[in-house]
Amino acid sequence: MDIKNVFQAKDVPEAINLLDQYGEAAKVIAGGTDIIIALRENHVKVSVLVDISSIKELKEIKTSDDWVEMGAAVTFTEVMDYFKGHKEYSGLIEAASLVGSPQIRNAATIGGNICNASPAADFVPPLLALDAVLTVEGKEGKREVRLEDFLLDKGRVDLNKGELLTTIKFIRLRKGQTVTFSKLGLRKALAISRLSTAVYLEIDDDEKCAEVRVASGSIGKHGLRERVAEESLKGKNLDKAAIDEASKVLSNEVEKRLAGRSSCEFKKDAVEGIFLKAVEKAMVHNGDGSYCAMGTQYYPRAAGKE
Amino acid sequence: MKTINVKINGENYTREINEDMRLLDFIRDELKLYGTKEGCGEGECGACTVIMDGVTVNSCMVMAFQANNKEILTIEGMEDEKGLHPIQQAFLDEGAVQCGFCIPGMVLSAKALLDKNPKPSRKEIKEGISGNLCRCTGYNKIVDSIEKASQYLEGEDQ
Amino acid sequence: MKKNLEVVGKSVIRVDGFSKVTGKATYSQDLTMDNMLWGKTLRSTKPHANIKLNLTKAEVIPGVVRILTYKDVPHNHHGVVFKDHEVLSSGRVRSIGTPIAFVVAETEKIAVEAMKAIEVEYQELEAVFDPVEAMKEDAPKVHENGNLLYHYKLRLGDVDAAFKECAVIVENQYKTSMVDHAFLQPEAGIAYLEEDMVVVCAATQYPHFDQLEIAEALEVPTEKVKVLNPAVGGAFGGREDITMQIHLALASKLTGRPVKTVYSREESFVAHSKRHPMIMSYKTGADKNGKLIAMEAKIVGDTGAYASWAINVLRKAGVHATGPYEIPNVKVDSYAVYTNNPFAGAMRGFGATQTPIGHEQQMDMLAEKLNMNPLEIRFLNALKKGSKTATGQILEESFPLKECLEVLEKAFKKDAKGVE
Repeated sequence: MDIKNVFQAKDVPEAINLLDQYGEAAKVIAGGTDIIIALRENHVKVSVLVDISSIKELKEIKTSDDWVEMGAAVTFTEVMDYFKGHKEYSGLIEAASLVGSPQIRNAATIGGNICNASPAADFVPPLLALDAVLTVEGKEGKREVRLEDFLLDKGRVDLNKGELLTTIKFIRLRKGQTVTFSKLGLRKALAISRLSTAVYLEIDDDEKCAEVRVASGSIGKHGLRERVAEESLKGKNLDKAAIDEASKVLSNEVEKRLAGRSSCEFKKDAVEGIFLKAVEKAMVHNGDGSYCAMGTQYYPRAAGKE
Repeated sequence: MKTINVKINGENYTREINEDMRLLDFIRDELKLYGTKEGCGEGECGACTVIMDGVTVNSCMVMAFQANNKEILTIEGMEDEKGLHPIQQAFLDEGAVQCGFCIPGMVLSAKALLDKNPKPSRKEIKEGISGNLCRCTGYNKIVDSIEKASQYLEGEDQ
Repeated sequence: MKKNLEVVGKSVIRVDGFSKVTGKATYSQDLTMDNMLWGKTLRSTKPHANIKLNLTKAEVIPGVVRILTYKDVPHNHHGVVFKDHEVLSSGRVRSIGTPIAFVVAETEKIAVEAMKAIEVEYQELEAVFDPVEAMKEDAPKVHENGNLLYHYKLRLGDVDAAFKECAVIVENQYKTSMVDHAFLQPEAGIAYLEEDMVVVCAATQYPHFDQLEIAEALEVPTEKVKVLNPAVGGAFGGREDITMQIHLALASKLTGRPVKTVYSREESFVAHSKRHPMIMSYKTGADKNGKLIAMEAKIVGDTGAYASWAINVLRKAGVHATGPYEIPNVKVDSYAVYTNNPFAGAMRGFGATQTPIGHEQQMDMLAEKLNMNPLEIRFLNALKKGSKTATGQILEESFPLKECLEVLEKAFKKDAKGVE
């Protein structure tokens, strides 16, 4: 670690000015839970740190008529507290609650989770399933970019010199809509995700799948939308056959993607179970009775016991 | 060098620090408060836990300059003129302490938990200390003592 | 009688509890002294190699006070049983983590910088990581006298004849992994001089033995070495072998100043011993009622590059190989073998922890084959007061295995009810 200059930015313009001024030499720090380790191990070599964790406007969550908007420096604990009791957002609550440990959730931010672009980032799959839109601000002004387009590669995002991710927003959920999350880690706390999936599900009045978005973690260069699984479910009656079919399709996709990797054999099977769990959670939360029953009938263990 | 103002255990400190200093090093090396421990240096063990602006953080994963204008509680700030904090007393009474290296962090995690949730279930206690490793006890007595601390604190309130 | 006892049978507050709940207990990383230097250990990054050192670039870094190598160590050997560790490597490293040099500098930062500036030329040698491979004639030799460190034999009755009598026989191989103690306090210590006496404060399980080993290595009388043991943040066997104690004592003696070092968690992992990984081949036979008749076991323990307590650990594994069961015909061979893995030593159970992975699964499988309740087969064969173990020991004191099994039985029944 060879840090020469540090700044505790008070507002977004100050942070952007500093990032612009120092360019490649500077890096944003918020919760610090990843970057401090990376600096100490010399994986990241910068001489300037710009701390955004004290910028008030980046620490707010707001729900308007159409959108939910979260500041980039919102911590996972703050996410859990804000959405507490709102079952339709259980995927956000659960993904946040499975990040690290209480101490890490108190410090680590959702913006950091996105910008690190780790394949295992817990919060990315549910945000992908919500088709989240990010606001990026720089000297030239603001721009909006979909999260899916923002993630470029493992550890690389669409941020230009001097730009800062400021907010993350998604369309507010209505009746019949939900987002869920399911994760496989090696232990309960402090477990880096081996595999995760998030499902956004919208069930229409005919109990058919009106809209579905599936996203995964740890089975690609970064969090990914799983469109084959989505296509497989769309418009169908969500019975056992349809869900099994979709999980099989996803498993085949994972097998293709991970071909030649040592984790392939395990992950192609495990993804079926993790996906199934996420779907079941969605149906239990969503259902008007019959779907709940369907879920419990076919998968007794999943029925609200999570 | 950078100047920071930090309130630690109720006292204001203004200090010149190196830019690359972690909060943990600031607490130990600058302020000589050695109760905060380093067990892993990467946020896995929780021995360096302190309470910053009301929530627990691993002080090995906070840069010292980030603590500017923040309020921090370390294990040294748990006692008051009456003596041990009820959580510390409960740890003593239940025999939750063995080697002791995890205890400062464990006590602070317990405090943050009980401040937010005065009557936690055993499951909630386990979640509350899931960021603090203990290698000696198997955790049962630590969970017992946090339950007991909850009772002590309830008694105090009445 | 009981009412006269003040402590026995009572719950008492531990003596160091108060200092520990208040954060006042002093561990060795909490000690600092005026005029103190910092030490850092350069360690091997290769499992088996001949090395050449070039200190030129490191020595000239401002603030570097001294760089210790094997040439500075009067008697360059230590070890709890065999003196097969070198204090600092004299030319050949046998595992990753073997100490090569000890840099002493004005600050920790400078010590780290200088450690990184030392050039190590590794001439890699063929290494062996599998203890079974290491037992073969043509395996790379970790130490000059060959890789087989110890062979323990236990013979009771006639197993070959007895296996012919068995109604069921179960034969399997079990492997256990290397485990780190991961005590929460990484190694740390400080050494200083009191006139011509060296004082070493370090978290250790053997202050008296450390004193002996430091005195031997420095070639000074034991009364010129004092070892202080401040609060110890867990050990579990992992602080039985010397890590930094001799380095610190020597550095302090040669510089005349206090010297401190603190290991990172990563360094801690490579610096101290591990639990022995074991490969256990078991053959167990019983009659049609489930009564054990014969057991044969071959246990190979990987002690890594150094002996540490391997002899004692593999003996204990051999002695405990039958589990807590009475078996009339027993044949056990246990071996301790050198490899180029990190060295193994004492850890909770000391060899008796690994074997249950084997003998208990054997019991379950025998029960399954005989269509018996797994508890029943254990009740039937359990050692009790008055029993004779395979090594010939008569169990004269209490042996409450039956009571343990009864508790289990109750818990299982309760569990079964819970499921309904």
